[in-house]
Amino acid sequence: MATSEPATTALRETVAAAKGPISESASSESRPPVLLFEQVSKWYGPVLGVNHVSLQLTGGITGLVGANGAGKSTLLKLATGQIRPGLGRVTVRGIDAWDWRAKRLVGYCPDIDAFYEEMTGRVFVYTMARLCGFSRREANERTEMVLQRVGMTDRADRKLRGYSKGMRQRIKLAQALLNDPELLVLDEPLSGIDPIGRQELLKLFRQLAEQGKTLLISSHELEELEKLTEHVAIMARGRIAAVGTLQQIRDLLDDMPLTVRIDADQPRTVAKLLLASPDVVGLDLEAKQVRRTDEIGGTLIVRARNPRRFFRDFGRLTLEEHIEVRHLEALDDSTHAILGYLLGGSGKT
Amino acid sequence: MPPPSQEMLLKYRPWRGSFHGPSRAVWAIARVALGQMVHRKMFWSMYGLSLMIFLFFFFGQYLMFWLDTQISSQTFSGGSLFRNVPTQGLITFLKRGAQLDGSAQTFGNFIWFEGFIVVIVLAFVGSVIVGNDFHYGSLPFFLSKPITRWHYVAGKCLAVALFVNLMTTLPAIVLWVQYGLIDDFEYFIDNFHLLLGILGYGLILTVTLSLLLLATATWLRRTVPMVMVWMALFVLSRSIGRGLVDGMRFDPRWRLIDLWNDMYLIGHWIWGTPHQQLRPLSQAQPEYWQAAVVVVALWACCVVYLHRRIQAVEVVS
Repeated sequence: MATSEPATTALRETVAAAKGPISESASSESRPPVLLFEQVSKWYGPVLGVNHVSLQLTGGITGLVGANGAGKSTLLKLATGQIRPGLGRVTVRGIDAWDWRAKRLVGYCPDIDAFYEEMTGRVFVYTMARLCGFSRREANERTEMVLQRVGMTDRADRKLRGYSKGMRQRIKLAQALLNDPELLVLDEPLSGIDPIGRQELLKLFRQLAEQGKTLLISSHELEELEKLTEHVAIMARGRIAAVGTLQQIRDLLDDMPLTVRIDADQPRTVAKLLLASPDVVGLDLEAKQVRRTDEIGGTLIVRARNPRRFFRDFGRLTLEEHIEVRHLEALDDSTHAILGYLLGGSGKT
Repeated sequence: MPPPSQEMLLKYRPWRGSFHGPSRAVWAIARVALGQMVHRKMFWSMYGLSLMIFLFFFFGQYLMFWLDTQISSQTFSGGSLFRNVPTQGLITFLKRGAQLDGSAQTFGNFIWFEGFIVVIVLAFVGSVIVGNDFHYGSLPFFLSKPITRWHYVAGKCLAVALFVNLMTTLPAIVLWVQYGLIDDFEYFIDNFHLLLGILGYGLILTVTLSLLLLATATWLRRTVPMVMVWMALFVLSRSIGRGLVDGMRFDPRWRLIDLWNDMYLIGHWIWGTPHQQLRPLSQAQPEYWQAAVVVVALWACCVVYLHRRIQAVEVVS
């Protein structure tokens, strides 16, 4: 199994060690972390699905992103105790994830849509409630609660065969919420959901996080994921390439300067001032002119290292030099761009 | 608009109660599997056929006993075709041919015939109750719940066990009770070992068919391959065994490849039937213990295979 780029490897070590909001909360709590991967590797015969992964979640929402075959699904299955690691240990609140006691703390919404099609949604959720260990009466109550929570009460008596993709997603989410889990693992939960439904589910996820639950969400919908959380774990070739907030990860991409677009009235003047800054490593100028000497504005594409310091210095510069900035935009600090950088441009592994 | 109290009841709230242990989930899994089984039309048609076999044995026993005790010295008029059949001749046929005399052979034959229907039904529904969990990937729904894979196996086995016993052991017990009621109360005391034998044979069938169904359905997943393999296991292997031992005069141990015969032998071992009295008398049979070794080895293979297979493995190519 090939490893990631040297810079990425270094970044992984650094970012994993970085103190983010989640790590801080970890130190403040005496309880074991909600989810802990310790040097975990998993082989499928000769194929290495997950390679030497260490990860710790103690709260909030964490996005899990990566290309197809990066090992996301394996990681989620390890987290939910469906498969056992070949090496290392996965624990949920200190209990081995493989143990059925740990599974009581976990809710899992898989990406597959395979149900018992003859069943109604209500019967399916009820059956899952019975598997969770609820008595008959409690199972009925919890079933109604979660169906109401995901907005499926009025459609729960239809057979699963007739459900749309979005309705199936909601039913899957309902069964994951049954046991009021501390850790909610969601594999592509927004796939197939219409825009209004997405907003409802995003709101639901935020509410669950506010209630103190830990959500680990694997998704290819990076834009939606960005709306939901700043904290991501990026997987590549079975490894955690980086984990932390997008800002933390972006800051540490030293060899990939941040690209910033600046629309200003006097682009040449601004360019001259910026080039004096040690953080600026490159600059493109697209000035608009009416005559040879009369600038009426233009666009600067600036490549800067250490984005945080760059923005602070640029702010000070605009005030001191009375520069009129019409537009300022970081072009590549999105999850998508970061993923592209980490995984080698195209995002493919 | 629901009343406020109902609205409160429906509102999702954190769970503060305690959960039952994972063993409760076994019944939930079994119930789902049984539900899937009984939703098939084929199940009911085969169940009807098994009921006919049961009724044949039920009324056959009654008829034989009635003929034996009431009109054994009379002549029986069987219409234009069988005029003036001596009753004793009919009794002899029922006793020797159909073995309807409340003996170990009666129950052995009954379970043998019913067992074939059980095998056919299981071959067809195996993919539905187990194979689809693997083929369509719905296994994660089970394995992500607070149970172990052995609870999943136990749940599916329980469903198969209920079905097998409903078709074989339970009606065999009814036949045993029926014969005791029409004969004499002493029958229950003198033939108590037959009841234990019925239960033992039922247990062998239950464990073997449950494990074999789970293992083959986990491996093959689809209905057609399942039916083919089961037919090969229970029909083809029987023909080959007969051909080798009865036709080509090979060692009787070659008959051990006939799994159905192996279970039949163990059943008679439990009943205490002397080896030389096994029917048909013309067939050479392997020793009882050899059949037991084969069946136990099969169980071990199935358990090892299930241990390896029942986990949510994603195949990465």
